[in-house]
Amino acid sequence: MTKTDGTPAPPVAVSFTGAVKTFGAVRAVNGVDLEIRRGETVALLGRNGAGKSSTIALLLGLDEPDEGSVSLFGTSVAQSVRAGRVGAMLQEGRAVPRVTVRELVSFVAGRYPAPMPVGEALALAGIEELAGRRVDKLSGGQTQRVRFAVALAGNPALLVLDEPTAALDVEARHAFWASMRAYARRGHTVLFSTHYLEEADAHADRIVVIDHGRIVADGSGEELKRAAGGSLVAFDLAGRGTEGLSLLPGVTAVEVRGDRARLRTDDSDATVIALAELGAIRGLEVAPASLDDAFMALTSASDSVSESSSPGASGTPGTPGTPGASGASGASDTDLETVR
Amino acid sequence: MIDYLRLEVRRTLRDHGFVIFGVGMPVMMYLLFTNLGENDPAWKTVSMVGMAAYGAVGSALNTGGGVAEDKTIGWLRQLRVTPMTPRQVVTGRALTGSVTVLPSIAAVLLAGGLVNGVRLDVWQWAAIAVLLWLGSIPFTLLGLGNGYRLTAQTTGVANMVCNLGLAVLGGLWFPITLFPGWLRSVSSYTPTNRFAQLGTAVAEGHAPAPAAVAVLAAWLLAFGSYAVVSYRRSARTV
Repeated sequence: MTKTDGTPAPPVAVSFTGAVKTFGAVRAVNGVDLEIRRGETVALLGRNGAGKSSTIALLLGLDEPDEGSVSLFGTSVAQSVRAGRVGAMLQEGRAVPRVTVRELVSFVAGRYPAPMPVGEALALAGIEELAGRRVDKLSGGQTQRVRFAVALAGNPALLVLDEPTAALDVEARHAFWASMRAYARRGHTVLFSTHYLEEADAHADRIVVIDHGRIVADGSGEELKRAAGGSLVAFDLAGRGTEGLSLLPGVTAVEVRGDRARLRTDDSDATVIALAELGAIRGLEVAPASLDDAFMALTSASDSVSESSSPGASGTPGTPGTPGASGASGASDTDLETVR
Repeated sequence: MIDYLRLEVRRTLRDHGFVIFGVGMPVMMYLLFTNLGENDPAWKTVSMVGMAAYGAVGSALNTGGGVAEDKTIGWLRQLRVTPMTPRQVVTGRALTGSVTVLPSIAAVLLAGGLVNGVRLDVWQWAAIAVLLWLGSIPFTLLGLGNGYRLTAQTTGVANMVCNLGLAVLGGLWFPITLFPGWLRSVSSYTPTNRFAQLGTAVAEGHAPAPAAVAVLAAWLLAFGSYAVVSYRRSARTV
């Protein structure tokens, strides 16, 4: 889903340079370098507490970085916000009492220099039929869509969505992402944060993985999977032991569940040939590492090798971040609970 | 700015609590206090001004309650990512306060003229309304100071304490001639007492005393500074 940007180097929408934000002893944003070009749709992926919201607060000018700088469209954040180039759906926002949906969306649209017609904003957010209703009388999912309409009412060049689908059921989620994509297709830049891997993979051109306030990976879903290393080779043990499996070519990790062994491998071909020589092929299955695996490998790696992984400063999408290689090593399935 | 004012005034007038306590209550209390037992006709006029002042103070403080609420629900934060400047937001809020005091003042004055038969010259009615309107500004600032500084719940409590305390102490409910001497002198330094004097002076046919204006101006300065300090402090966290 790369968009057809104009060929002469498209201007940069978002630029972080060594941004740091500290709250007491916690470095919530710990040296972030990031560049997002106009028209990109980028997911900011991370666990709860990884620094997503703090990064977004810097990007919107709600907080000032302690070190480094953040700029939007080549100017300061404050100037861009004043010029109406930014619209945002904030995480902690709740329903504004005693106004109707139309009143609220019209009011916000009216603050911007070139808003979209209110009817269009309501239609895009899928809440036309709620226009006359009081915002504080709506359900959680409906409120969420009203907040989406508020974010895009001004027709901003940069739309920022902090965990936008948190209160939505499955159906509403689909509708929401369809709306978001429709907005992105108009050539706008969209940045959304999520801790759902599937969402990031399905709806963004580019995924920026953040952990402990640092960017630990940056690229498309495919690239992240590749960077995290390898494939999974699974087969039935059929009674044979597991000794020696970790020494097979390419294998980086071995996991046994009941009578089935799962080998994580850098080189699935070599692993399979070795298994064949052992005569161990029973119910063989070779699968690429899932994005879940990639995500776990990337974020758990940053715990152990935090210093060596310089954050992906390239800023050019399509170039995966640096830490992929180290990522595969320490990945264990024991930190499953930290993923969601 | 006008849009913001319109939005916030609309939101305030749709607040049942505001309509009941800010507008209904002062009218009801005025009619009760002036029609129970034997009453001096002059008391109907003095109490009318006092209760209009009481209503205006309540409505002005209520503006701060709105700010605290908007802070809690993240609406102020949302406004910060629109092109509106913080200054516009604060100014809009202060103006909202100065609009929403009008129904309270008007309702009590109407009750005085139509129900209690208070007779004044046209210029006196107009001057009382305008002076009460302008004189409510310090109380709007006090409310804003509370609203920016405190949480929604504590703002509600703080506003109520300010409202009732200042109303009773300032003699808006009962004439201060009933107070003991020491309390009377305390009362003359309250903003509410001087606020009501703006109106009672006009009702008696003369201009407000310079002392009343001076005391009120001092409070305007104090509450204004309080509002600015509170706002500055909260601006970092909103």
